[in-house]
Amino acid sequence: MHSNDAQMLVLTVLATGPLHGYAINTAIEELTGRKLGPGSLYGALSRLEARELIGPAGEAGERHRTMQITDAGRDTLRVELEQMARVSQTGLRALGIAPT
Amino acid sequence: MRAAVLITRLYPPAVRERWGAEISHEVSESGIRSWPDALGGAARLWLHPGDWPETLAGQTCRVLAVALFAVTAVTALLLRATEPSAALTADVGHPATSLWLAPIVVGIALAAPRPPLRWDALRHLTTVAFRTLTAPAVAVVAMFVTGRSGLIEHPTGLAHAALIVYYWATLGLTAICLCTLIARVARTVTTPSTRRLCAALLLLGTGLALAATQSLLAIVWTPAGTGSLTVTLALGLLAAATISAGQDLRRASA
Repeated sequence: MHSNDAQMLVLTVLATGPLHGYAINTAIEELTGRKLGPGSLYGALSRLEARELIGPAGEAGERHRTMQITDAGRDTLRVELEQMARVSQTGLRALGIAPT
Repeated sequence: MRAAVLITRLYPPAVRERWGAEISHEVSESGIRSWPDALGGAARLWLHPGDWPETLAGQTCRVLAVALFAVTAVTALLLRATEPSAALTADVGHPATSLWLAPIVVGIALAAPRPPLRWDALRHLTTVAFRTLTAPAVAVVAMFVTGRSGLIEHPTGLAHAALIVYYWATLGLTAICLCTLIARVARTVTTPSTRRLCAALLLLGTGLALAATQSLLAIVWTPAGTGSLTVTLALGLLAAATISAGQDLRRASA
């Protein structure tokens, strides 16, 4: 799984509401069937926070940092998902499968 | 020390401050199968300093300045381990084989923290430097005094091994203390700007790439193969990592 995929997954699960690191990985496991490794998950969280696409939801100094998606993060996620949907529909049509 | 704690310490400080406890917990919970991903994650983050969140303004630049000096120290130790090498010299008498040093020196000058020209700040810096460098200075002086005293002319066996260990421990301690000094003074002095650090990293990488090329040419062209393949590979890796970090920082700051 590439780092961009990890960032997409993190943004997707955070779109449902604020979560801390372990809960983010549990949600990703429910979504994809497998957890991200610690390097992929926390690397993605660091990159997303540096790009201000996510931010802390709780108070500073909490043992487990709860993160939430920002408005910029929602916009980025929407653009990425729409692009993925276009690719998916094109691919399914090419295979003769009607997109649901 | 547990492996999870050690692996977590390999992450850049800004990431460790935020996620250190969680990374450590997940690595210890998942066991050895999570180590490659955790180690790969740390390496990827070091190669992409533009991805680091900042706890304090200028944190990335301060950490990178220390990292740049750490790479320089590792290079110096690496080359000392293979010296004397005719392929890689560091003196004005051999300009052709010492050319690799020029971009490195310019890079270090660009990355060096600038002390503020105030008496109280300079006094504080002098105190920090004195406290940090006393131990390696004593070790170096003791080494010179021992060497010049004539007490040990031709050491053999255990004495010879002990002297070699002492020599390398002194070099290692000096390198660590110099990097510690940069880390300590970086909090109080003017750290280099992102632009200057980009240039410094790219110059350091260029110097290391030149050194790796010279070392490789020595292996290929000289009949006895005077260069060392291990050193060439290590220099090449350091060059690639430094140039990659410099380019990423430039992209992030653009």
